[in-house]
Amino acid sequence: MSIKSSFLLGGTFLVFSFYWFTDFHRAPIYYIPKPHYKLPVNPQKNDTVQLGRMLFYDNILSANNEVSCASCHNSYNAFAHTDHELSHGIYDSTGNRNAPALFNLAWQKEFMWDGAVHHIEAQALAPLHDPRELGSSIEELLIKLKSSSFYRTQFFKVFGDSIINSKRILKSLSAFELSLVSFNSKYDRIKQGQEVFTEQEKQGYLLFQNHCNRCHTEPLFSNFEYLDNGLPIDPFLQDYGRFLITNVENDKFKFKVPSLRNLSYTFPYMHDGRFDKLRKVLAHYGDIDVHSRVTDVKSIPLSFNEQSDLISFLLTLNDESFVFNKEHAFPNRLKEELIKK
Amino acid sequence: MKLYFLLIFLLLSFVQKAQVQIEFCLFSDSVIHTPFKINETDSLTKFKFYISHLEVKGENKHVSEKQHYLLDFHENGSASRIISLNNVDTSSILEIEFLLGVDHKTCNEGIGEGALDPINGMYWTWQSGYINFKMEGVSDNSTAKQNKFQLHLGGFRKPYSSTQKINLTLEKETSEIKICFDLNKFLNGVNLKNQHTIMSPSKESVSLSKLAKTCFYVN
Repeated sequence: MSIKSSFLLGGTFLVFSFYWFTDFHRAPIYYIPKPHYKLPVNPQKNDTVQLGRMLFYDNILSANNEVSCASCHNSYNAFAHTDHELSHGIYDSTGNRNAPALFNLAWQKEFMWDGAVHHIEAQALAPLHDPRELGSSIEELLIKLKSSSFYRTQFFKVFGDSIINSKRILKSLSAFELSLVSFNSKYDRIKQGQEVFTEQEKQGYLLFQNHCNRCHTEPLFSNFEYLDNGLPIDPFLQDYGRFLITNVENDKFKFKVPSLRNLSYTFPYMHDGRFDKLRKVLAHYGDIDVHSRVTDVKSIPLSFNEQSDLISFLLTLNDESFVFNKEHAFPNRLKEELIKK
Repeated sequence: MKLYFLLIFLLLSFVQKAQVQIEFCLFSDSVIHTPFKINETDSLTKFKFYISHLEVKGENKHVSEKQHYLLDFHENGSASRIISLNNVDTSSILEIEFLLGVDHKTCNEGIGEGALDPINGMYWTWQSGYINFKMEGVSDNSTAKQNKFQLHLGGFRKPYSSTQKINLTLEKETSEIKICFDLNKFLNGVNLKNQHTIMSPSKESVSLSKLAKTCFYVN
């Protein structure tokens, strides 16, 4: 090989490796598809992420300064609201839906159970303005943040000046949310050849691939589509899901397929949290009423033992390191600030 | 050398490029003041809309601009808003084109700043998307509480994309373009008995956006 061609080869290699290192859309692990949104680089040291984290945990976001995003999205529950069927808001108000778990959001295009929000940056506006959630508004939040010397300093750190506007608030919050990446479950370690399934988990995995994978598609364990899983409508909530957004008759009863990762931490299940146990979920899927309407799922009758096998597989999707990651918990900087007050 | 500069200067001064002022104003049969009185019983309390992708077309070239302008006819009560475009060949403007609303690409990009800041009250929070056109007021025809009506027209996702492209021809060359919105025509076209509250992307939102499109004219 001539010197010239080896230079050329080396140069190409350099360019490619540079591209690979700077392509933030690339997935963190080889079997994970490319995310839809850019993942924040080095979240622990990323000031935008850290500012978003403070806002996420700060009660300043609610009208009465008593509730924050974290009230319903607890890091120790994979950012869901364990044991609460429906989300809670200011003045003990109750929402219409179960607070969804927050992780691997960069792989979703749209947000909320019905896909009401089309972009991650716009998402926070929904709970911020909902009178049954934070009950505030972006106008009110801006006034509060602008009058806080603590936040003026934080914004200065991130953006190089202390201007506080909607875009910056929403960008920071979404940066923190995008940094919540969970791919360290037993399933992932098995995928990477570090561990193996037990016999029961293996049986469960086969059942999963046959019956569940079409909608709860590996490796994200959701296809993020809006589907009707045959749940009878709750007469009190009268929630028609996706239909409320699209007004299309065919979208009635459809909700976004949630990921099955971290499912031990995110009970109760379904958009209205109606099932507190996985057995109840499986009982529902075993006996879907297909006579009342056309659903996207047919009944999946499983024996009790098969159910146990399936559940033992599903438990391998729990990512303990994600749930106990201190980097996602209440930020110290905010704690110190609140103590000062 | 000096001669060259002089020549260039002379050449440049021959090309008639200047500022074009586009004035958007409201037209109603009666005198307009705040709150905009339409007749004895009907009045507006809020009226704002987005204008974007302004394009001024001349004989052989056109100037276009992607910027979004929010024209708010409530603040300080004046019934007209002026947008200035620089570097336009004013000698032969024949046509003006713009979008009533926010373009699809911008909607898809997330949250904007300035005119597009959600603080302007032109962003739906319970479901995403900009409100392109917001008109609120009181009318005897409205059957809602206190005869109020709220028309929030917007939405960018199919099938309820409500942004409208408006194309107006100018009769004579000018550097001051005055575009009017015919309030009477619009309100006569709305059936306030049934359509007093529109606050989501829907068939009504699209059809009223199409009506709004026909209400712009060059004065």
